[in-house]
Parts: sequence; structure tokens; C-alpha cells
Amino acid sequence: MSDAARTEPPDPDASVSATDPLALAEYAPGSVAVLTDAERWPTLTAEGAARLERLRTHPHAPRWVHRTGDRLTAEQIERTKHPLPVSGWLDEHLAAARGLLHYRGLAPLERLEDFPTVSRDDLVRDIAAFVPLGSDFDRMLHGTSSGSTGAALVIPDDVEEVARSFHLLVELVRAEGIRWRPDGERMALAHVVHQREAFTYASIVSGFGQRTMARVNLHEAQWPTDASRREFFADVDPQVVTGDPTSLAELLDPELRSAVRPLAIFSGAMALSAPLRAELESAFACPVFDVYGLHETRPIAVRTDDGPFRVLDRRVLVEVLDAAGCAAAPGEIGELVVTAGENQLLPLVRYRTGDFGRLIRLDGGAPGIAELEGREHTRFVAADGRHVACVDLTQHLQAHGARGWTVEQGADGAVRAVIAGGDRDAVQAALEALLGRAVATVRVARLADLGEGKPRRFLSAAS
Amino acid sequence: MAEVDELLAAWAEVNGGEDAAWLAARPGPRLAAVSARIGSVPRAFLDERVSLAALAGDVLPASPACLRFADVAAVRLGAAIALWLLASEELVDRFEPPLAGSSADGGTRAVDALALRVAPVADPLDWLADDERREEAARTFLLWCGYLPAGEDVATARSLAEVRDSLQRNRALADAYAEQQHRAEIARRLSDARAKEAAARYSRE
Repeated sequence: MSDAARTEPPDPDASVSATDPLALAEYAPGSVAVLTDAERWPTLTAEGAARLERLRTHPHAPRWVHRTGDRLTAEQIERTKHPLPVSGWLDEHLAAARGLLHYRGLAPLERLEDFPTVSRDDLVRDIAAFVPLGSDFDRMLHGTSSGSTGAALVIPDDVEEVARSFHLLVELVRAEGIRWRPDGERMALAHVVHQREAFTYASIVSGFGQRTMARVNLHEAQWPTDASRREFFADVDPQVVTGDPTSLAELLDPELRSAVRPLAIFSGAMALSAPLRAELESAFACPVFDVYGLHETRPIAVRTDDGPFRVLDRRVLVEVLDAAGCAAAPGEIGELVVTAGENQLLPLVRYRTGDFGRLIRLDGGAPGIAELEGREHTRFVAADGRHVACVDLTQHLQAHGARGWTVEQGADGAVRAVIAGGDRDAVQAALEALLGRAVATVRVARLADLGEGKPRRFLSAAS
Repeated sequence: MAEVDELLAAWAEVNGGEDAAWLAARPGPRLAAVSARIGSVPRAFLDERVSLAALAGDVLPASPACLRFADVAAVRLGAAIALWLLASEELVDRFEPPLAGSSADGGTRAVDALALRVAPVADPLDWLADDERREEAARTFLLWCGYLPAGEDVATARSLAEVRDSLQRNRALADAYAEQQHRAEIARRLSDARAKEAAARYSRE
């Protein structure tokens, strides 16, 4: 099974998107898959290949839009099973950062505090200035982040860091006293999304007994029949489910609730509300990890209850700055600024997250973040009563060139959008198609015209 | 200075990465044969009244990036000498192995290499008068045709090329060029289809 094009049947839905006014070209099935299976999983065994084939051709599988693997050699599999050492990491990290083009010509940057903060805009403007000269470019992958402050950002992902992030999840689960090991033919992990369009794929985790994982779109339009979603999950029986609050909430649908029996659930990307956590815990009788992180920084902190987040014992350091950019007084709320060294292709120093919180000391002395705010979880209501996740809007706003925006829905359902840059007519048409209602759309020239600070880009008073 | 920067930046954008070029290089013609051919460039190729675009159109299958800078004397001259080397296989004698067919681009990048990478830092007139500069041009030309000089392995050829590299004698320019190469390499890598396939991700951040 060396060539995916031969192993996967033509997608029966492929022609549908050709006539869909909301189709985004990058989500055409297989449009960006170019490797062979041997390149996707260099150590793929016959057993692993058979599991993959079963998943790809599962009669109840959703539409697989993409193909991708973990790309790990045997040596990399072993290396990524263990965290990077943290002893003395900050000194090494700052030494590497001093050589970045971004800091050329600046006054001596001796201590962490000497480094100016950097923002997402800095990365958007010149990402190469943040990649160390002489990096191993063969490890570089194209990562994209829709982010929470505007324009999409292309991020140089490190193939080893991406793989190591799986083992971080394993470590967190095991720390809760839960035995998460390869178990028969159960899927190791289901990464669920609930979007109109998304990259979805079936894969093998090379470093976890060659068990399967999948990125699955729970959106109803993605499944062969009405019963397929339930049948699929009941059959693959994922050990762990990850997603954002929008997609995880979908697990509570009665048909899925009875089909899924995870050892643990991970929520990320947006704020997980206390009621949703409680419902998930109650429905699945397992811990629900709320992970705070950004694509740029990688995971920063985690919590398993509604208390403060615990900063991970990884190459990550959190500061809190006040409005003037100075260190906030101990215990005061301010912007979270993160120094992050897990992705060695993007060693960030003092990265402004745009999120706010209070730095505290937890019992035992570990740093924690209390009152974290900033991650959005907004759903709009379409004219026919459907809920539409804000990420669906983000995709189209970005596709039509908007660098920033505010989209607000009133209690009466009326929607208005203000976009900075981009094609106003195209944005309006896309939003109206998504929501099935008129969207008054105004275009302004500059991001600053959206207002001060981090725009709360999506607001909805409808329910 | 600004002009040299601009020329080197244009080269960084089109060269596809020096590491990749060295990795792909295979045994080629003798260095002395290429150097001698540089020394025998006909006056017609050096005549500034001859259109570089027309000359390139006669010799190359695709338009080289250096045509944008044809009004810069050193670029014009460097490109013309490279075009002479390619054309000379028909007009004089083939190299052994021949340049024709040695690279997928028919020598376009080799022309850009002499025009945008060498000419801005080593005057092409010196290639005709100075043995070291002629060797620098010959080595660069061979590399971007996909060749190592006959009898040299990659490590030797690369090290000798670095010794001859005029750019390395100007620290500020060399740093600026390294920066341009870095940016171009990252842009290339991130837009590469293999990178775009990405890797399976396990959770959302």
C-alpha cells in the first residue's frame, strides 16, 4: 500500500463541492495530498497498513478530505516519545533567539526582560525573521493558524514537535491515573471538529503501537447516511477524543453519547464553559482536560476542573504584563505573554497572546493562570435555526482577504459585519449564504479602524 | 550597495537553495575547459549594443530573472558571458559531459547565477583578466548547470568555491545575502507541496 491514490476510492462527494458556492478550493478532497503512504508513515507495518485501510474504507466513515501522516522515522519515533529536557532550557532558548533576524541590530539582549515583546502581527509580517538560521528545514511543515486576532498566519511547524504533542496528551492522561495504552483495535484518538468544511483524515500513530487516529468532521453533511456518525464511532471506539467546545458539545447528542466511551476528553482553542465541562464529565464519566495554548506557542497550560490552569512543565514561561507593557504586580490581571521553546523552528520570546489572566502560584509552587479570558466560543444562529460556529465565518472572511473583522448578531438575529480590508461584496455574499439572512457589511481600510485592542471579533446575542 | 543587495535578493528568490544545488550536483566538465572558454568570449557577446533579451532568447528555453536588471552593466556582461558558455557548445565544441541537457532549465539558472550572484561582487571584466575571478565564475557556472568540476567531490568543490567566493570578502554583503537566502528558503519550504501536506495533528490549540 504505497500509494494513497490507489488505496482510496474516488470520493463520491467530490463533485458536490464543485457546484457549492461556499466551497473553498483547499478543501477539495486530496487537493494538497502529495506524499506516498511510505513517506507518511516510514515505519508502517503490515498491521498498521491494514488498520489504515479499514479506516479509510470504513462503510460509515465520513468524507476524508485530506491525507496525511506523522512522517516519523524509527529514530524520531523514539525521540518524540519523551519531552524535551527543561533543565537550563531558557538560557539555551534566549541564546538561539539572539541570533534571529528579528533581533538584529538591537541593543544587547542579556536577560529575558531585555527582549521586546512580539505579536502575531510581527509573525504575519516576517515569519522568516523568527526562524533560526541554519535550522533543519527538512523538519519544517506548513502550519496555518486562523488565530483570534485577524489575518491567517503561516507557521513553520516542526514534525517532531507535532508528534511529541501526542505523547504530551498521553502523559497528561496517565498522570490522572488512567491507563492509556494501545488497546486491541480501538482508535487511539479522534480529533473532532464541527465545521462546514475542514481538513479531515485517517492516520496511524507510529509511536503508539501503530494504532489509528482520525480528524473527523461531525458536521451532518459529511456522513454517508443519517446513522453513519453513530455507527462509525461505535465501531472505531476512540480511546481519547479531542476538539474544541463546539465540536465536543456535539458528542452530547444522544446518538453519539451512547456510542462514545472515551478514557479522557481534551478541549482546546476556545474557552470551555463550566456547564459544558460538567455535562461532558457526567455523560462520559471521564476527565475533561481544558488545554490553553496557541498554535504559535504550542500548549501552555491545562486544567481538569474549573479552577486555575497549571502551566505545563515544558519549555514554556508565562509572564503577565500591564497595559503599559510592564510586568503586572503579583496577582494582578494583565496580558499573558509567553516565551515558548517547544517548536525549535519558531523559538518565541515574550509573545503577546492577546489573552488576559492572572499569574498565581498553585499548591506545590507550580505557576498557574487564573481568570483566563480571551478565547472565543461564539455561535451564530442561521435563519433556519441552525447553529453556525464562528470558525466557519473565519474561513470565508480570510478567504476573501479580510485582515480583521467584527461580526455581531443581535438578539433579534440581525447580523452586521465590519471588515478591515478584503472584498466586501464577496464577504457579504459568503456570510449571507452561511447564515441564510442579510448581513449588513461595511469595509474599513485599516485594522485600527475596528477599534482599540484585540477586537472581540464575534459577538452573538441570539440563541 | 543598495543595488548589489537588490541583485543578490533577486538571485535568492530564484536559485532554489544552494544546499540543494550541491546535493544534486554530479561529475561534470573539467574546470580548466570552462575557464578557457570564458577567456575566449567573442567581442560580439560583450558589445553592450547587443540586446541581452534577444541573446537570451536565442540561447535559453526560458527568460532568465536577470533580464529585469539588463541595464546594470555588470549584470549584462555576466549574463552575456554565461550565454556564451552555453552557446559555445554549438559554435565551438561540446564540453564533456555536455552542458546541453545537464539541467532541467536549460542553463537559465546558470545564467542568473553569473549575472546576479557573481557579477555584482566580482566585475565580469576581471573574469577575463584574473585567473582567480575566472575560476570563481567557472565554478559557479558549473554548479548551477548541475555539475561538479571533473575530479572533485562535493566537499572539495564546495570548499574551493567558498575560498574563491568574492562575496565572502565583504562581511556586510555576505550577511545581507545570508539573510536573503534564509528568507527565500523558508518561503520556498513553506510553499512546497510536501510541506503543505503537513502532518496529522492531535488536538486544537
